[in-house]
Amino acid sequence: MAQISFQNVSKTYAGGKSAALTDFSLSINDGEFMVLVGPSGCGKTTALRMIAGLEEITGGTLRINDTVANDLAPRERNIAMVFQSYALYPHLTVGENIAFGLKVRGAKPEEVAAKVRETAALLELTEFLDRKPARLSGGQRQRVAMGRALVRSPNAFLMDEPLSNLDARLRGQMRTEISRLQRMRAVTTVYVTHDQVEAMTMGHRVAVMNKGTLQQLDAPRRLYDNPVNMFVASFIGSPPINFMEATLVGRDGTPALQIGPFLLPLPASAERLARRIGGKVVAGIRPEAFKVTTGSTGPGTLSARVLFVEDLGADLLLHLDSGEIAMGHADMIEDERDVMKSSPKLKAMIDGSHRISRDESVSFAIDPGAILVFDAQTGVTL
Amino acid sequence: MAMVSKRRVFLERTTILTITVLFLLPVCWLISTAYKPSNQIFSVPPRLFFEPTLDQFRKAFAAFDVFSLVRSSLVISFGTTLLSLLLGTPAGYALARSKSRYAAGFAYFFLAIRMIPAIAALIPFYLLMRDIGLLGSWWAVIVFNTMLNCAFVTWMMFSYFKSLPPDMEEAALTDGCTQMGAFLKVAVPTTRSGMIACALFCMMFSWNDFLHPMFLTTLDSKPISVALLTAYGTKDITWGTLGALAHFSTIPIVLMALFMNRYFVQGATNGVQ
Repeated sequence: MAQISFQNVSKTYAGGKSAALTDFSLSINDGEFMVLVGPSGCGKTTALRMIAGLEEITGGTLRINDTVANDLAPRERNIAMVFQSYALYPHLTVGENIAFGLKVRGAKPEEVAAKVRETAALLELTEFLDRKPARLSGGQRQRVAMGRALVRSPNAFLMDEPLSNLDARLRGQMRTEISRLQRMRAVTTVYVTHDQVEAMTMGHRVAVMNKGTLQQLDAPRRLYDNPVNMFVASFIGSPPINFMEATLVGRDGTPALQIGPFLLPLPASAERLARRIGGKVVAGIRPEAFKVTTGSTGPGTLSARVLFVEDLGADLLLHLDSGEIAMGHADMIEDERDVMKSSPKLKAMIDGSHRISRDESVSFAIDPGAILVFDAQTGVTL
Repeated sequence: MAMVSKRRVFLERTTILTITVLFLLPVCWLISTAYKPSNQIFSVPPRLFFEPTLDQFRKAFAAFDVFSLVRSSLVISFGTTLLSLLLGTPAGYALARSKSRYAAGFAYFFLAIRMIPAIAALIPFYLLMRDIGLLGSWWAVIVFNTMLNCAFVTWMMFSYFKSLPPDMEEAALTDGCTQMGAFLKVAVPTTRSGMIACALFCMMFSWNDFLHPMFLTTLDSKPISVALLTAYGTKDITWGTLGALAHFSTIPIVLMALFMNRYFVQGATNGVQ
């Protein structure tokens, strides 16, 4: 059981040229499931490895249970970690792999045997105890890696993208399984992932990171509904949110958005934007907020030509010609930004029961409450 | 298509067989001399069939203390191998895990030591050993061969450890090991095949080494490789005795290689993937 807190922690590499983590502050409560999420290179794994004691801290303070842990050796922290590669010991059997941490810490043989049996039963590994890791499937190896962490009673579990090497179906199963085990044991858990589905479904709270800094720390639902900036808005949610360049206009005294030829009213709460009327902003509308309408094409609706239809079964994902609408993009690491730039299409997710074909022109009603407005310069939510 | 591939297989096998025979012929001849009576060794044309005799072995045993020679060879090879691995493995590991950008340079520097012509180092080393009183002992050869082999082992183990992701050692650290524990309990066992390859190399080098023990050992500490040369007498060359002695200098190392090779294959298939 442990609380973990980062206070203005930073990590710079030799020469001070690049920083993996800048002024990072985060407090993880006892028993909490904290997810660190972000694109590759955002510093999430660096932060995790700092907790484990595998990464040197170059600035700030890391506390575990109110003890400054900056310079503690990994074994002095009593923390269990599940690696992305699983890092199983290839020369030891499954049973010996699970027992390793207990034996090293000098547990009695009877105690070790009992705990290994218990853990193996919990993870359904009993029949594989005598096998070497080389003769296990990916899912089984993943469970052994989990077992190696679970068998001890550590202060905290650290998991570094533990599901990324599994196929989609197994990943879904293990996602719920890990959540269940964590709720059952109530051990502080820090989980690193780049998969926003894992972030949304597993954590009590989620820390979204980008370029070595913490962007937003919140409950999953609040990240989706109230992202603090364009980066968080685009990272959480799949398919990603649509950004469109817009102008704030006054309409009967309340602000509304002029996006290309379309006028979208904003909810009453948008009064706070009144002083920005006439200014440039970026509008964010999630693909799920598009509702097909056959009625009027007046204010509050948006129409576009269908370029491509992806039939996902339950839903249809429409790629729309943005036409006169100028698309925006979040400030991300270069690779992802390039992808976003190269496909400046509007995306709409609609119910699978609709029959829509290519080149058809479709009108959508947009719920004013689902529109997010961002500052065009800073990307901060207004 | 089938015809072409059959012909190919035939050609391949014939080539392999021809080369093998070419390489083995001198060895076969030497071994056969050990079983021929002295007057038949140089008969022209060479006789394929002859009455085998153990006379040459009797002569060899009379002229040489074969047991002592083999013992010296064994002590020198095992000593060198053990010491080289004991020093070279941790050194290679340290270099592989070092964050210094000069680490790889250092590793290649060690490889360069192996390339120094041994004779250049031998003369000062000879004087050194004489002054500290180790000249003529097994230690002198063991230390000298270790110097050369250990450098090679360091470089080779550096490459092995470098190819091993540090995740497993990090897992061991979080599991409660010290840095040393992670090295001994995880890094060393996972590179077992590499260590066996190194051991095999050191062993063969030291066993077959002639030059260094020739200078550094005396009558009672000399290994069989040196003794082989003394079979050349001053007046004539006793080919039969040489052939008999060659048995004792070949069989042990071949057996060791076969034995270690088994472990090598086992070790190599032990790892994940």
